[in-house]
Amino acid sequence: MSDPKNNQDDHLRPHVYDGIQEYDNRLPNWWLWTFYGAVILSVIYWFSFYDAQIMESDTTRIDEAMAKVEEARLAAIGEISNDTLWQMSRNPGFVAAGEAIFKEKCVACHGPDLKAGPGLAGVNLVDDEWKWGNQPISVYSVVTNGSPDKMSGMQSWVNELGPQKVSQVVAFVLSHHTEQEMADATTLNPPINLKTPPVAK
Amino acid sequence: MKAKSKLPNLDTVTTINEDGSRFNIHPADVRGRFTRWRRIAALLLIGVYILLPWIPVNGYPAVFLDVLHRRFHLFGITLAAQDLWLLFFFLSGMAFLLFYITAFLGRVWCGWACPQTVFLEHVFRRIERFIEGDAPARRKLDAAPMTPPKLFKRVLKHGIFLILATIIAHIFLSYFISIPQLWEWIRTSPVEHWKAFFFIIITTLLLYGNFAWFREQLCIVICPYGRFQSALIDDDTLNVAYDYGRGNPPGSVKNPEAGDCIDCRRCVQVCPTGIDIRQGLQLECIGCANCMDACDEIMDKVKRPRGLIRYASERNLEGFKTRLLRPRSILYTGLLFLGIGVAGFAFSTVDKAVAMATRMPGAPFYVTDTHIRNQYQIRLINKDSRDLSFSVSIQANGLTVPVESSGFAGAEILSPMEEKNNTFVVQVPREAYEGPFALKILVEAEPGDIELEREVEFLGPDPELLRRQSQANP
Repeated sequence: MSDPKNNQDDHLRPHVYDGIQEYDNRLPNWWLWTFYGAVILSVIYWFSFYDAQIMESDTTRIDEAMAKVEEARLAAIGEISNDTLWQMSRNPGFVAAGEAIFKEKCVACHGPDLKAGPGLAGVNLVDDEWKWGNQPISVYSVVTNGSPDKMSGMQSWVNELGPQKVSQVVAFVLSHHTEQEMADATTLNPPINLKTPPVAK
Repeated sequence: MKAKSKLPNLDTVTTINEDGSRFNIHPADVRGRFTRWRRIAALLLIGVYILLPWIPVNGYPAVFLDVLHRRFHLFGITLAAQDLWLLFFFLSGMAFLLFYITAFLGRVWCGWACPQTVFLEHVFRRIERFIEGDAPARRKLDAAPMTPPKLFKRVLKHGIFLILATIIAHIFLSYFISIPQLWEWIRTSPVEHWKAFFFIIITTLLLYGNFAWFREQLCIVICPYGRFQSALIDDDTLNVAYDYGRGNPPGSVKNPEAGDCIDCRRCVQVCPTGIDIRQGLQLECIGCANCMDACDEIMDKVKRPRGLIRYASERNLEGFKTRLLRPRSILYTGLLFLGIGVAGFAFSTVDKAVAMATRMPGAPFYVTDTHIRNQYQIRLINKDSRDLSFSVSIQANGLTVPVESSGFAGAEILSPMEEKNNTFVVQVPREAYEGPFALKILVEAEPGDIELEREVEFLGPDPELLRRQSQANP
C-alpha cells in the first residue's frame, strides 16, 4: 500500500463546484456486481418479454384469467335449470347463505319479508304473481342479467355477487314457494331465460 | 492487494479497498459506562421487539399488522384499509421527530436504538467474539489457511447466525400474523403455507447476509439517514467528537510539547466502521460511543481527565457553549409540535366504525312510473372489540324534496372486525323531483355514540324532460 496521505491525489476529478471537489474512488465490488447483475437481468428480461416472448405478457395473463372466470361462470350456469334450482331451494345450507345475501343486498327494495310494499322499489316475491315468468330459471335470469326493463327495473347482480351467490339468493327466494304453487301462479310477461335479450320499454 | 491493517483517511472509506474489494473490520473489545448503558438499552429494546405482538391491548396484540384481513392494531387503536391516509401523518410525524432529535443529539438513534446496531453489536458480534476470540485472534483466523479447527469455528458461528436470523425473521413475521397462527404454521408442513415459508426463508437469508457479512456497509452505503446528516446537523449538534484543541498534537506521554492524545489508536481499533474520529466528524460515524469509552480508559491509565473524545458540539470544541436556542432548533421544535398536533388530530378522528357510501355500479338512476330511484352501497366496518349496532338514515333537514330510503329498516349488528356492504335505496316521487341534489347519509353506531355523515349526489333525468314525458302519457 502506498502512503495513505497522498495515495488519492491523482484520483481527484478536475471539476470544481462551489469549491467542492470529488475523488474518483472505486465503488465497492458488491455494489458494482448488484448493478451489473441488474443490467444483465434487464437485458434478459427485455429480450424474453418483448422479443422472444418466453415470458407471458400481462395481456395473455389477463386473457387467461378472464377465460377461467368465464369458464367457471359457464360451468355454474350449465348446472342451472328449473330442477337444480328447486333442489338448491330445499338445501338448508344453500338457503341460509342466500338469506344472508338477501339481507345485505336485496332488502332495500324487496323488504325483509320479501313482500316489498309501499316505499319499496321492488316487486313482491312471495305472492302468486311473477313479473318475468313463473319459473325458477326466470328468477335466476332476472337476478343475473337484471330486469329486461333497463329503465326502471332491477340491475344485473352477477358482477357484484358472482354466479354462486346468485344461485344461493335465488334458492332463498324459491324456498318460500313450492313447485306446484309456482306453476299455478300467473306471469305478467312471457317467462324469460338466460338467453332472452333485453327489451327497451 | 489485500492490506491486513489500514490507516483510516478522509478521502476513502476504510471498509472499501482501492480495488473495490471489502476490507473486513474487527473492532477491538471495549468496556466502559457508555458500552454498559448501550447494552442495557439494547437488551430492553430486544425485549420490546419480541414482546410487542404478545402484549394484549383492548383485546388485540399491541402491534398486530393484520395484512391478510386489512386490520391494523396499534396500541389499542384499530385501523382499516380505509384509514390509510393516516399513514402520511404518521410517517411525516416520525420524520419530524427524527429531524428534531438529530438537530440536538446527532446520530444518537444509530448508536443506541437502530435495530441494525442493536442486533449486530449486542447479539451477533458477541457470539463472534465468543467463538473466534478477540480482534487480533479474529484477524489471525481470517488470514489462516482452512484447517479443521478453523472450519469448525466458522461452521459453528455461521450455524448460530443462521438460527438467530431465523428467530429474528419469525419475530418479524409475528407482527403480521397472530401468534397462534404462527405457532400453527411452525408445527405444520411448509407446503400448506408456502408463501409465508418463502417469506421466512428470504427474510432469514437477508438478515443472515446482513449480520454475518454486510454489517457496516448498510450504514455507510445504503442507509439514507446517514446521508442526510450533513443537512440535519449544525455547529451546535452534539456528536461523538474528538477535542482537537486539547488533544493535538498527538504524542508520547513524556513529550511536554504534545497534547493530551497519546496517539495509542485505541479509538481507531474499537471503531465498528473503521474511521479515525480524530480526523473529525465523518459520514461513516454511527455515534456508537465505542471510542469514547476506549479513550476514557486510556486517559484514566495516564491520569489525565476523561472526555478527550466525548459528546460535544463543534462550537463546544471551539471553546464556546453549545447554543440550544438557534433558528434550526426553533424551526424543528415548531415543526415537531405542528406534526404532533396534526397527527394527534388526525388520529383523534379515527372512530371505532367506518362508513363509506358509494353509488352502485350500473345505471346512475332509475325512473319508474312513480319515482326516481338511486342506489348506493353503504360499506360498514366494525373496528371495535365488541358488537356494534349500526343504523343508517337520511339527513332530511335542509332537503326541499321528499325522500324515501330503504335498506336499513332495523339496526344492523356487526361483530368485531366484521365488514358489510349493504344496498341502500333512495327514492324521490317523480313529480317532486327538481334536479340533482346533495344527500347526506347519517350512519350511527352504538355503543359509543358514533355519528358519521357521508355526502352523496342524488341524480336523475332533466326535470323538464320528465315533466313533458309525464304530460304526454298521463
